[in-house]
Amino acid sequence: MTRILLARSMKLALLAASTCIAITATAQDAAKGDAKAGLALVYTCGGCHGVTGYHNAYPNYHVPRIAGQNYEYLIAALTEYKKGERAHPTMRAQGESMSDEDIRNIAAYLSSLGTPGSTK
Amino acid sequence: MKHTIRRVTSISLTLFAASVFAAEGGGAPGKTVEDLAKPCAACHGADGNSTNAQYPRIAGQYHDYLARALQEYKSGDRKNAIMAGFVNTLSDSDIDKLARYYAEKPSKLDDLAHYEQGD
Repeated sequence: MTRILLARSMKLALLAASTCIAITATAQDAAKGDAKAGLALVYTCGGCHGVTGYHNAYPNYHVPRIAGQNYEYLIAALTEYKKGERAHPTMRAQGESMSDEDIRNIAAYLSSLGTPGSTK
Repeated sequence: MKHTIRRVTSISLTLFAASVFAAEGGGAPGKTVEDLAKPCAACHGADGNSTNAQYPRIAGQYHDYLARALQEYKSGDRKNAIMAGFVNTLSDSDIDKLARYYAEKPSKLDDLAHYEQGD
């Protein structure tokens, strides 16, 4: 009886493990952004993010630095704008115009930029 | 006349006390910015340059953008389960200190102005 239970729980564990591997593999496949394709898309971003020291008109704070930002965070942020989960009106409009693939490509390009100590 | 002076004094004392409380805003008085930054390090790295790509680099980011983000997490305008838990304990003054602390740190982050945009 114990042996059967043990065998069953091992099977379950294997199933869980293989599911995890499958999910990870899918996530990785989807995560391959093309930096070169991203370069073509960031032209619009430059209007605000490409001006050093540029402020939002309202509310008044610096438009964030995005060159060298982390890949997965950039995808999360753009996806949140796309879904309307982050409030900034200009960024929401931008996000809505992007496909998931566009977002991955932009994130691949932006995360490839930046050098240590570049802001100092 | 004396009565009026006393009243004015008592009102201004009350206002002063209220402003002191408001400035603290439930924060942690006496904590250094290094103390405040300790919980941040778990995800954003000790120097604010997160090595785990799902968390943003905060080192070298504009201080007013960082402060704005923290304020939005606090007000609930920006939703993130992890960040919501941390910002609850921060006063406005704590947020300002943390934002300036990380903004000053060396970083890979840069203005997009220094790079090629579009083809």
